[in-house]
Amino acid sequence: MKSIIKYIRREEWSPYIAGTLLGVVGILAVWLSNSLLGASGAFENLVGLAGQAIAPSLFDNMYFNYVMPPGITWGVILLVGLFFGGMLGAATSGTLKWGKKGSANSDEQWKTIFGQQTWKRWVLAFVGAIILEYAAGIAGGCTSGLAISGGMLLAPSAFLFIAGMFASGILTAYLIYRKRY
Amino acid sequence: MSTYVIALILGIAFGFSLNKAGLTKYHKIVNVFRLTDMAVLKFMMTTLVVSMSGLYLLRALGLVTFPAPPATYAVGNLIGGLIFGFGMALSGFCPGTCAAGSGEGKLDYLIPGLLGFFVGAAIYGLTYQQVFPIISNIANAGNVVIPDALDLSPLLTVLFFAVMSFFLFYLIDRAGLQRKKEI
Repeated sequence: MKSIIKYIRREEWSPYIAGTLLGVVGILAVWLSNSLLGASGAFENLVGLAGQAIAPSLFDNMYFNYVMPPGITWGVILLVGLFFGGMLGAATSGTLKWGKKGSANSDEQWKTIFGQQTWKRWVLAFVGAIILEYAAGIAGGCTSGLAISGGMLLAPSAFLFIAGMFASGILTAYLIYRKRY
Repeated sequence: MSTYVIALILGIAFGFSLNKAGLTKYHKIVNVFRLTDMAVLKFMMTTLVVSMSGLYLLRALGLVTFPAPPATYAVGNLIGGLIFGFGMALSGFCPGTCAAGSGEGKLDYLIPGLLGFFVGAAIYGLTYQQVFPIISNIANAGNVVIPDALDLSPLLTVLFFAVMSFFLFYLIDRAGLQRKKEI
């Protein structure tokens, strides 16, 4: 029992154990809620909600009315859970960053490559997030909604997405890291 | 109501597993693309093997019916994946890991990250009509899964995928890709 608690408190688990946990979560989502895990769709539901409140005529289109209706969906609650799950995970290993030094630019490897400036990290995180969300829209889902959820059902779309993701991810990392690749 | 409780609990377990697998760290995501630390790939493949084994077994026993799988429209899935990989190597996160990392108190995930996802979601929703119908019409096979579409035995397909995954894990360890390279 003591060794189990000690393992839970570790900062990083074996990818096989963490992966098994997420696999079980994926099964339970289908079994209990007939739903698939996802994250990018929840951002659409939420932005539709905000958009229709702030600029109703702009957000009164086919997409927000029929394809991704705004609202507090199952996926939005899952997204809230993701937030608290990350918090719980970091809390068990004592690695929470709230109010700590380095929370604004959280990765040492990043600093080695791009420098210490926080604004650079924030600009690239912001631009990267926009690109990711748009790409997820085109592909039909993100790493969770398409790669994991589609993959576990053996949908061809998931494997096409994963192939594209790794091809351009490897190329981009190479271009950024060059000699340090 | 109870379905919301399930979503919340599953979401917490989801975020917890992302944290423990190290996916809420920039370097873990980028180093899989640099082929120096393949933990993220091992994590993803393990998740797939476990969940597809469970789900196809439950389906064979008649205990679950699958929800509609993500639609296959080959060009869109692939182009989306290509753009997605670029964004992921640039930022070191994806929508799910950014949400989990935000909960850990990483401000670069919480503020520019989440804000970027909302802005991206708005831009996509407002340009959907001009972009999506065209792309999704090319090579559209609908909501198919491989064993049903190709008339293969589902359980043998899952077994094949599992064996291939274990073989991949073996190759990764043999090639020493797990080793973390100094920068």
